Amino acid sequence: MNTIVSELSMNDLNNKFFEIMQNESNAEDAANFIYESLYEDVTLGFIFEFHHGLKTGLTDLIEGEKEDDENFKIVNSPECDVFGLSVLKKTQDCNCACPNCERPVSATRFAPHLEKCMGMGRNSSRIASRRIASNSREPTSYAGLLSDDEDDADWAGGSLHNERRKRRIKNNNNRKTKLHNGNSRNNNGNHNSDSNDGGATYETMTANEKKNLLLQICGVVSEHTKKLCTRSTRCPQHTEEQRRALRNSVLEPSTPESQTMGLAADEVGSPPDSSPSSSCSSSSRKRDRHRAPPKMKNKRDRNMSPNGRD
Amino acid sequence: MTVNNTIAHQRLILSGDRERFKDLLMRRLIECGWRDQVRMLCREVVKENEGSNINFDTLVTRVTPRARALVPDTVKKELLQKIKSHLLTQKDQ
Repeated sequence: MNTIVSELSMNDLNNKFFEIMQNESNAEDAANFIYESLYEDVTLGFIFEFHHGLKTGLTDLIEGEKEDDENFKIVNSPECDVFGLSVLKKTQDCNCACPNCERPVSATRFAPHLEKCMGMGRNSSRIASRRIASNSREPTSYAGLLSDDEDDADWAGGSLHNERRKRRIKNNNNRKTKLHNGNSRNNNGNHNSDSNDGGATYETMTANEKKNLLLQICGVVSEHTKKLCTRSTRCPQHTEEQRRALRNSVLEPSTPESQTMGLAADEVGSPPDSSPSSSCSSSSRKRDRHRAPPKMKNKRDRNMSPNGRD
Repeated sequence: MTVNNTIAHQRLILSGDRERFKDLLMRRLIECGWRDQVRMLCREVVKENEGSNINFDTLVTRVTPRARALVPDTVKKELLQKIKSHLLTQKDQ
């Protein structure tokens, strides 16, 4: 029964519809009406969808929660680090100022900071090793110089650079000194024993021997070994003033008094601290009544020379 | 006239063509980006009254008028044209 009724109404509807559609304006109205209803449906559908997503949290899941930019902003203020934490409590151990950027750096982080700040990576270690190598070279040379008994320890206290230079010169002079030793031995046959070689004191020589010897060698008496310097007359170890003073004291005062005095001093046993200058001065001390100016010269030379050597 | 419209509407529903047109409209609106714009509108509305728990009715009343203005003319015209021609061709069968 029901189906029959619907079939009847379906026919009625069809008839009516065809009736209406005879008029085109009716069709247009109907189209508008249908469009509006369609639009309503679609809009409602979308809004339903959105509302459903909103209420079930589906929208958040699909679109992702909005990130909070505040957490990721870099704080740019002088008292805070990039995290916005106060940097004040760190300043206590920031006791080193970087020479490059003048920022206070913790002592424990100073080396890494320098490496970074000055843009040195592997280079820094290379430079450091080079520096260590150059530092270690000088002490060894210094030690080698000290162990050399020929060297005048008086002047060993000079700057390291000076020591190196001296050693180089000394090496050059080694051949010459041997030559001179031979010469002096030939000329002064009376003291050619090895123990005495180069270490002869002026007291045992005659005036002629002294003159001959001093024409060929430097002749300044070492403070420590109490031997003559057997290098050339222009040896760099001793100054011209020293040589002149020595010649003055050894050659000129050939007065028997001073010679005997010098001999006496030597026989008594010169004090252990006697040195070229002191041995000179020990003899000249007794003579300074006669020859004050050389003594003064000598003294001044002694005072000046450590500085003048640099 | 509303009777005539409902008759036409009713017939369209019964023939199943209304669903076709609805699908077409939905597709067109998605294609032209209208759906994304409406979604943004909805989000704005939700944000505006964040404190109060927003319900569906307020969403509809706030969004629908603005959404209607966003529908492109071309889509609307195409739909009207198609429905009308469909109604008129029905008559001939």
